[in-house]
Order: sequence, then C-alpha cells, then structure tokens
Amino acid sequence: MSNDDEMVGYRQQPGKLPFSRPGSGGKNQFSQLRDIQLIPESQGGKKLQPRGSHRHDELISGTSIGRPTALVDSKWKVTGKANYGDDIRLNNELIGKIVRSPHHYARVLSIDISKAVELEGVIAIATGADAQNSFGVLPVTKDEHAMAIEKVRHKGDLVACVAAIDESTALEAVRLIEVEYEVLDSIHDMRKGLDDSKYPIHDRGQYHIGESNVQKRVFQEFGNISEMVPNSIANHKSNWLFAGVNHGFTEPHAVVANWDPSGRLTLYTPQQVPHYVHRALADVLEIPMHQINVYRTFVGGGFGGKSDPFPHEMCAAILARKSGRPVRITFDREEVFWVNRGRHPSRIEMDIHADSHGRLCGVQTDALIDGGAFASFGHVTTYYNGVLHTAPYELGSFHYTGARVWTNKPASGAMRGHGAVNSRCAVEVGLDDIAEQLSVDPITFRLANLLPPYSATITGFRITSIGMRECLERVKIASDWDNKFRQLPLGHGIGIGCGFFISGSGLPIHWDPNKFPHATVHLKIDMDGGVTIHTGAADIGQGSDTVVAQSVAEVLGLPLDMIRVRSRETDTSPVDLGSYSSRVTFMNANAAISAAMEIRKDLLKAASKITDTEMNKLVIGDRRIFDKKDPAVGVSYLEALHKAQEDRGALTSSGSYRTPPMGRAHKGAAAGLAPAYSFSAYVAEVKVDMETGQTKVLEVWAAHDCGKALNPLSVKGQIIGSCHMGLGQVLSEEMKYGRGGELLNPDLLDYKIPSIHEMPKVNPIIVESNDLEGPFGAKEAGEGPLLPILPAVCNAVYDASGIRVNELPITGDRLYKEIEKKCKKLKINTPLNLPNPSLEHSDLQSILEIRASKHSERDMQRIMAEEKTPYHNGALFGMDPEIPGDEQDSKWEIRVVPDEEYLSNPRLAGSAWRHIERRKREG
Amino acid sequence: MPPFKLHTPSSLDEAFEIVNILREQNLDYDWVAGGTDLIPNYKWHINTKSNVISLSKIEELHKISKNHIGAMARLYDISQSSEIHPLIAKSASLVASVMIRRSATLGGNICLDTRCFWFNQSEEWRESIDYCHKCDCGTGADCRVIPNQNTLCVATYQADMAPVLMCLGTTIHMSSPEGNRSVPMKDFFKLDGITKNILLEDELVTHITLPDDVFEWEGDYQKLTQRDSWDFPEAGVAVLWKKGIKGPSELRVATTGIESIPRFHSEESQKIIETWSGSDSIEELAESIRKSVKPVLNTWFQPSYRRKMVKVLSRRASKGLLEI
Ligand SMILES: Cc1cc2nc3c(=O)[nH]c(=O)nc-3n(C[C@H](O)[C@H](O)[C@H](O)COP(=O)(O)OP(=O)(O)OC[C@H]3O[C@@H](n4cnc5c(N)ncnc54)[C@H](O)[C@@H]3O)c2cc1C
Ligand code: SF4
Repeated sequence: MSNDDEMVGYRQQPGKLPFSRPGSGGKNQFSQLRDIQLIPESQGGKKLQPRGSHRHDELISGTSIGRPTALVDSKWKVTGKANYGDDIRLNNELIGKIVRSPHHYARVLSIDISKAVELEGVIAIATGADAQNSFGVLPVTKDEHAMAIEKVRHKGDLVACVAAIDESTALEAVRLIEVEYEVLDSIHDMRKGLDDSKYPIHDRGQYHIGESNVQKRVFQEFGNISEMVPNSIANHKSNWLFAGVNHGFTEPHAVVANWDPSGRLTLYTPQQVPHYVHRALADVLEIPMHQINVYRTFVGGGFGGKSDPFPHEMCAAILARKSGRPVRITFDREEVFWVNRGRHPSRIEMDIHADSHGRLCGVQTDALIDGGAFASFGHVTTYYNGVLHTAPYELGSFHYTGARVWTNKPASGAMRGHGAVNSRCAVEVGLDDIAEQLSVDPITFRLANLLPPYSATITGFRITSIGMRECLERVKIASDWDNKFRQLPLGHGIGIGCGFFISGSGLPIHWDPNKFPHATVHLKIDMDGGVTIHTGAADIGQGSDTVVAQSVAEVLGLPLDMIRVRSRETDTSPVDLGSYSSRVTFMNANAAISAAMEIRKDLLKAASKITDTEMNKLVIGDRRIFDKKDPAVGVSYLEALHKAQEDRGALTSSGSYRTPPMGRAHKGAAAGLAPAYSFSAYVAEVKVDMETGQTKVLEVWAAHDCGKALNPLSVKGQIIGSCHMGLGQVLSEEMKYGRGGELLNPDLLDYKIPSIHEMPKVNPIIVESNDLEGPFGAKEAGEGPLLPILPAVCNAVYDASGIRVNELPITGDRLYKEIEKKCKKLKINTPLNLPNPSLEHSDLQSILEIRASKHSERDMQRIMAEEKTPYHNGALFGMDPEIPGDEQDSKWEIRVVPDEEYLSNPRLAGSAWRHIERRKREG
Repeated sequence: MPPFKLHTPSSLDEAFEIVNILREQNLDYDWVAGGTDLIPNYKWHINTKSNVISLSKIEELHKISKNHIGAMARLYDISQSSEIHPLIAKSASLVASVMIRRSATLGGNICLDTRCFWFNQSEEWRESIDYCHKCDCGTGADCRVIPNQNTLCVATYQADMAPVLMCLGTTIHMSSPEGNRSVPMKDFFKLDGITKNILLEDELVTHITLPDDVFEWEGDYQKLTQRDSWDFPEAGVAVLWKKGIKGPSELRVATTGIESIPRFHSEESQKIIETWSGSDSIEELAESIRKSVKPVLNTWFQPSYRRKMVKVLSRRASKGLLEI
C-alpha cells in the first residue's frame, strides 16, 4: 500500500521526506487539526461565546488554542533529557562551596583563608571584599551582597566561598577558613522588629525609619471610614498568626559560571527572572550587561523561590573569574532553606464589618510581616497584603496598615500567590463568620456583594472580566453545597473560600517608566517553514514555552511541532521581565500574537497575490490559506511563505506588550495594578478527628476563572498543584524555629509537604470569562488558584468542629488545643459532645438572594454592552457608579498617611508609623 | 558524605573476622543493615566511623517464618507476609514510606538511633549551636533539651516495630565474637538516648523469635503522625490481649515514640486485668498510660499534645477489647 495518504504528517523521519513537496498544497485540503469546535461562533465555528466575541477571534485557526496539549518540553522531562542547573557540565569545572554564618547576627571581624589556600586542590577563594556592590531584586531596596561585607544577618548567610577541584576538597577548605565574629543581639520575633534597636539589621541612611527594623510600612484608608463601625450590625475580629513557608520545589538551586576566552561571562542558572540576574551581575561584577549571557537551564520548580538574583550566583561568577575555570555550585536542601524567599511569617489582625443590608461596610486589616534578613520583594509584599483583598467584593470602606520588618531569619520573599495568600485567608474566614452572625448562607452572602465586570475597586484598580459569580455558582452545585453545609455530622464539614489575583504586575519593577514593553517576542521563519520563537519568558515548568508556541501556531495555523521556542539565553532572546506575578501568559502571549499577526499579514498578502483573491477574504487553516467562501481556492502554507520570502529571505517579526495606563494617583496606587485579574472559588470537604485534632481533606471543588484556558490540561494541572501547595500551608508546612531562633527543620522530612496520602480528590472547574485584553481571552492560572484553598479548608474545619482557627498550619496539636479550650469553656467532658454548628436562615437570606440575582442580570448586561459604562466601588452603598467615591462625597476618603489620632492608638503593624524617618528628623 | 570503607561479609563468622581485624588496627566501625537510618546520619556527619560492615549478604539473617524473623528481613516483606502475626505486619506497614520499607530491616528498626531536633541536623547546623551532648565532637556540650545536666540524653526513640513485638513476648537473639545470647525484647532497651540498648561492643542482633502462643494474641497498634507517609511516630501504642471469658485474660501494653526507649507497661495493664469492667477499664488504662509517659520537646508535635494523644491512641488500640 502506498504511504501517500498518511503523508499528511509533519514529522521528518531520517531518510524520508514526509513533507509534501514545498508549494504543492499537500494532499488534504483541510487537516484534522482545524477543529471547528474550537473556532468561535463569531467566525462561523461551533465554539459557543456566551460572553460575546473577542478581538482575537479572527486569529483562531482551530489548531491549538483550547486543546489539551502536552507541554512542548515534556518529552525532555519524562525521558530524563532535561538539563537542570546541576546537569550543566563544562570541561575543567571546579566545585564551589560556601562558608556560611553560624550566628544569627554578628559583625565579621576577620576572615583567615591562609590554611584553606594551602590546601591542595583549592583554586580560588573569595570573600565580601571581592564584590562590594550591593544588589537586590527591587531597585529601591538593594540590600544584598555576594558575601558579607561587614555583618552576617542570619544563620546561613554567606561569608566566603571556595572553588576546588572536587567537592570534598572544597568542603575541607570551607572548614579551614577561620572567621572571627563579634556576635550581636539578634531579633527573631517580628514584633520586636518594630522597636528601635541598637544595631538595626540594615541601615537605610536618610530613609531609615526611626532606628527600628521596619523595612517598609503602608497606611491606606479608602471609602467611608468614619461610618464603618456605626453602620455595622455584624463584626468579625480575628488575630492571625501564619507560619513562614518555603516553596519546597524539587530542584535545589544550582549554578554554573563560565568566562569565555573573549572575556564574556555565561551564567547557567535555573532562574525565573534571568533579566534581573543579568542586571545584578553587571552591577556586582562591574562589567557592562552586554558582556554577560544569562542562560536559563530547565527549572525544577520555582514558585517565586528562584526569582531574586542570588548571592550564590554572584559567588560562582566571582570564583570563575578568579580561577579562570568554570565553577559549579549546587545547594543541598538545607541551603535552600537558608536562601529561602518563602512566604512571610505574618501576624494579621482582621476586622470585618457588615451592615443591616448584608453589605460589607468595612474591612480593616493590619498586617505585620516578617521579612527575615533581606528586603527581597518585600516592598511589594507589604502592599499586596492589603490591596489584594479589596476585591472581588464591593466595600464601604477599607483600612489597611502594613509593615515589613527585618529579623535575623532567612529572608522571606515572593511565593506563589505573593502577598495575597495570608490576608485572603483571613478575609474569607472573616466573611464566613459574618455570614454566620447574619444567619445567611456564606455563598449567597458573597454572591450579593460582588463587584460587577468592568468596574473599579475601592482602591481604584481597573477590573475587566470577572468570572467570580460563575465560579461560586458552579462549585455550589458541584459540591452539593445546599445539602451539606451546616448539615454534616460533627467532625465532618464543608467550607467555601474565594480568591482574586493579579494577572501580571501593571508596573514593571526595573524600568524606565512606561515606554519599554513588558514583553517582546521575535519570530523567524526561513524556507523550511518552521517557526523559531525568540522570547525571554522563563519556562519554569509552568508551560510558558508551550503557551507562546500555541499562540503562534494558532495564528499561523500550524501544528505545534513546526514551532521551536528559543527562550534560554539573554544573548538571543529579547528582554522579558520574568516569570513572576502571573504575568507571562498575559503579556508574552499578547506579544507573541502581535508578532505572529505581522507574519500572518505577509502570508495573506502573498497568498492573495498568488490566488488573486482579496486579503480579507482569505483565512488560514492548517498549513493552507484559502478563500473563506470557496475553500478549494487556496495555496499551501509553504507556497505562500516562499512567495512572501521573495527578495527578502527569512521572514522576521517582532511583537511586544505594554500595559495600558490605569489606576489612580495616590502613593502606592501602582501596587496591585494589573491589566486583568483572575478569580476563583473553592469548596473543601474535610473530616476533623475531634479526639486528635487532625484534619483530613476529603475532596475539593475548585473553580477558577482564567479568562480562557489556552491549554486546559495545564490549567487543570495548575489548579491541582495549587491545591497541593495550599494544603501544605494550611495543614502541615511551617518553618519551625527553636527557642534560640534556630530553624529546626531545614529538610524535607520535618518540613512537612503533604504526601500523596494527604492529597484529596480535586475537581478542577475551568471558568472562562473571556478577558477582552487577554491573549485569546486568557488571564492567569498560576497563582490565583492557590488562594481559596486555605480559607476553604479553615471554613470547612469550622463547619466540622465549630472551631474558628486563626493560626496556620492547622496541625493536630494546634487544633486540639482549641478543641480542649472549647470543651473547658462549655464544660463538656469529651470533644465528641461539642455542639455542631448549625444554620437557620434569617430574613436577610432572601433579601440577599434577590440582590444576587439582580446583580447577576446586571453583570450579564455589562458584559454584553458594546460601551462599558464606568462602575466605581460604592454604588452598592448608594453612590453614583460613574464617579469615584471621593469625587462625589466628602465622607469618602483616600488617605495614605496616618493622622495624630491614629498614631495615639495604632494597631500592631500600624505602630511602625510612630517612627520618624531620619531625613525628616534632621533639620 | 564522609568516606568510609564498606565490608560485605557473607557469613557471621566472616563478619566477626573483619571485626577482629578492625579492632586489632584500632579502627572503629558501624553495622549497617538497610542503611535508611545510618546513611542519613553519616551524611550529616553524626558519629561517623571509618568502616561500615554491611549485613546484607549474610543469608541466615534474612529468614522469615511464623516464629522467627531474621534481623535482615525487609520491612516490606514483613508487611506483606501472611505467615507472621498480622500486628507485626501492620507495624511494619506503617513505617516510613513504601520505598524506604523496601530497604529498611527489622534489625535496623529495633536498633534505630534515637532522634532529636537538636541532633538530626547537618554538621554546620550542629556546629552553629555548639553541638550537644549526644554528639559533642569533643566540646563537652550540654543537652539542648534539658540543659544544665550534661549526663543524660533524652532523644526520642521513634521506631515502630518494638511495641507489638514486646507485647507478643518476643525474644531477641544477639551474637558477637564472644558468643551468642538472648533476652526478652522488653529487656533489650536501656536508657539513655545515647545508650539505647544492651548491645555490647561488636555485638549484633541476629534474629527474633516469637513464643508458640503468639497467634492467641490480638489487639492493635496505633501511631500518631503528621502525615500518613514518611513520618516517624510522634507516639505509638500497642495494646494486645488474649481473650478470656468476660474480657481479656491477659493484657499487654507498650509505647514508642515518646521517650528515649520504648516502654512495656506491665504495671498499668496488670491493674486493669485485675479490675476489668469494660469501657471504664479502657478509659482507666488509657489514662494510666498517659500519666506514665513523659515526652520532651524534641520532635514535631508539642510534648503535651503527644502525651494527651497517648491516651487517645491507647483507647483506640483497646477498642477490640469491648467486643469480647
Ligand atoms: C524519611 C524516613 C522516614 C522514616 N520513618 C520511619 C517510621 O515511620 N518508623 C520507623 O520506625 N522508622 C522510620 N525510619 C527509620 C528507618 O528507616 C527504619 O527504622 C528502618 O527500619 C531502619 O532499618 P535499616 O535496616 O535501614 O537500618 P540501618 O540504617 O541500616 O541501621 C540503623 C541502626 O541500627 C544498627 N543496626 C542495624 N542492623 C543491626 C543489627 N542487626 N544488629 C545491631 N545493630 C544493627 C545500625 O548500626 C544503625 O545504627 C524512617 C527513615 C527515613 C529516612
Ligand atoms: S536530647 Fe539533648 S543530648 Fe540528646 S540529642 Fe537532643 S539535645 Fe542532644
């Protein structure tokens, strides 16, 4: 039998040419790849569009977007061919090891390397003196050095480093380096960080806040502050303590540095943000950026923990420069905990007030967060702990005080759900309590208080698409909520939690304001027809290579294996700001679409010339360009391509993305601004063993509005993975410190990540709100899905046991203590006889139901409206929706500095404002 | 990992020959079975020795039958065996994770080193707290859990196999170049956290034997952990009994994961047998076991909680008693 019929494949086999001859048009007019179910109604396809059409609809060729797709790099991973940081082996390499501080806080008096230098096999040794310049991920807080300059600030802080011919020699040399310290009083309790101190951990010069260890403080008041309490009939108050958690990614940090004969440095590193390392290396090594190539290896998990420029990366480069040989440094797990950058240990005081209409007339949050020894992303984290819980609800007022302090612990930083996770948990648990006080169903309560689509939050964030309502409605049905909530027996419960997260930070961290794009993508297509994508977006396992490949494939109507992504090296890829703040899909795919549209235009033009058909009548199908009305009239992709290449050669194009202008003008207004936001609602069902306090999560229903699932397979993966990670934080993970401040569990046996046995069945539910600015409607699915699982579990624990937790993780010993307390209070002898929470609806329930259904209609109208009228938070409270609250009512305030009255009785983190900045004291 | 020389004798005699040679050369060594405890400790530079003698090639130590389990029997095989007492299999199935159980052995489990937050850490970590009494690296350091005493280590014995075996009346058999000896399992352990057991220098455990009446015993073993996999017992309670006419005719209780050695609670159980009255007796038993144990703060859960949970575990392990 002839193989001809099967020659529609695209895979090159050795010795064969399965491609149809260039320009022949192929055998099949239409390929199986063009799936009519994926083509939107607006383009004559069968994909329903309940929320209307999208600006990218006409680019949909039905090949890739919306299809469950294995990640393009998955074959490397499952066959063990992927090279992670430690897999990079260069000829003649040396092994680098780091000398670390045994003290929490100390002055380095002297470093004696004389014995280590003598050791055979030691090639280079470096200390702080070799790299004086500071660096840090945020330009405003560059407080890190490659190695200690004057002081060490936490156990495990870097003091010196050694490169030797092998690991054991390097370790021996580390032992031989003698460091003399003067130990200083260390701080471990974040509350102490608020006080003045003899030796603050860092010195911010004229910007130093008092003589304290406050690194950043925030004060914000929005809305009708004066009436929030007088108007309230239900009040929630809870003081939370969240333990610090670590990302717990599989691959420990590893780096290889190599200077080539021309004097250029290549740094191989599993980085989420190669661009910032690029900048930091230039600063620290004092060489221009063009002399450095940052090569991102495969990344074995990041979750925010590989997004700072790191001192060990500097060390490798310095050692390699000194020794003239490649240097490899690989961490063991303990070192991963030393460098940390995990979620901040936090103390959050949450007060929520609701009025007689069941409206949220006020949220007051005070968040003290423990930054550990360095600033890292902390400036932003301090804002995020406040501003990221001002939605999805319409609020009467919002008061936030936040402070981040330095302590002598491994530095906290950004971790999946950056800054939003802990305070979100506190709010959602508070809402559960408020609903209970009002005797209404907590889901109804939420449904009746949601902001509509295309609105502005109380702090002025521009919200576009919102799938929140659908998320809530779908988990309610899927979980059989109405038959379970407050009806399960003692020890068995169900709970709801919601989430809201940025889809890309609106303001780039390291940028000349505004003009430079956030993401840029270059395309190149030569005569072979394959498309090379050059992008700087760092695939850290989340699948950004796949998303960019899918986007280009879709626009050009090509199968995925004709697309190759080159995203590893700063030498070849355009600058991308990195994989953080869930920005990559939104920004990079938008940039890729723009680039692909240019090529598409070239191809259509060429096809139009060949077929003598007007360009706007042509569509791209799978590797074929043809007349919409008469598909027989058309040319093959290659034919059109070669025509387009006449006199020009390879086609190239460039696309970029920049956020639109948004937000308001008050200080800090940019923090939390994003071109779009994701929304989610989860229901968790749990069992609590009332006699041991141990909690087991049985099942989770997880609805997430990602805008549009470009790849449903990876969206589901992100939802399930987020649940796993969030369950760790809510049930068992914590960085445990001993009484002297020692980190007791820097290992994966005692840092308790849930095992497969603890993992419940997760039912991912994808909600597609079709964001008009997102690529094909997409927003994010990488971080937002983590937020709701924590409060959902906490609320389920309440439903099961009647205990409102306010400390995470909810380990057996913590919950049991509360159970015991309650037994004592109620004079009940066994936990098995504790009262089971119950609910009898008040009159408010039906009022809220009616409001929710009206709002549902309102929302749909706003979605379908051609012209979106403004809607500012406040309308629910009788304000004119078209005008920001503060512009129409003097009671609606915006304040970002506390007044004397507040300072006379500040809350915990708010007390950071009692200090006066140095520059304001002098003169 | 610090370098060591590995010896793999294929018989006990050969093993003891190696011992003699090493001793003549004044060299120190450790026995290694599955290595799932010893090797992590070596990696952390905890009490490392220059030589390690593996028992894995010694055929006679591998045997499993209903009255005899060799020291080298793998916990996985024990957990799957239908020949041995089901509670032994259950205890084995609760140890660590399935992967670890494939290497882990009975002998290694019984002889497991005691554990402590201040001790099971890397060398740099321990150096940063100036070490502790159990592995003081010549510094004469104090205990970090109960300071100012400098004589006692209160590290916790966190192995799962001992309680059930003790209750079943197991005899433990040991061998050394000096000869063989046997003791009841309940007399095998010896305070403190450093001494751990009665093994003399150069002595090893060869096997355990179980009495003929072993299958007349029933009961349960309950284990407290944070997670269902990997985690060492934060407390473990075995309650075993022989059925009498009304209630148990004999009753034995043993605990692990709470103190520096597993404990056989003969007094407490004896009292209950004498005054047996159903569920009240169970409550009384559970309370008396709780009272008798004194955990310290050196593992994952708070000691006060572990102590309270001993009561819950005792009650739960006794549940079957009500069905008599
Ligand atoms: C992640 C993890 C989780 C764990 N969880 C558990 C748990 O839940 N429950 C539990 O009980 N254990 C647990 N363990 C500990 C250990 O895996 C088991 O106790 C195992 O049974 C030890 O057996 P082994 O053969 O590997 O011992 P090895 O590591 O080979 O030896 C342990 C000690 O016993 C000595 N020894 C071994 N055999 C003999 C012998 N025949 N005579 C004299 N001395 C001997 C060795 O010298 C060494 O000091 C865990 C270990 C890890 C790494
Ligand atoms: S109990 Fe004391 S001596 Fe024993 S290991 Fe722990 S700290 Fe060291």
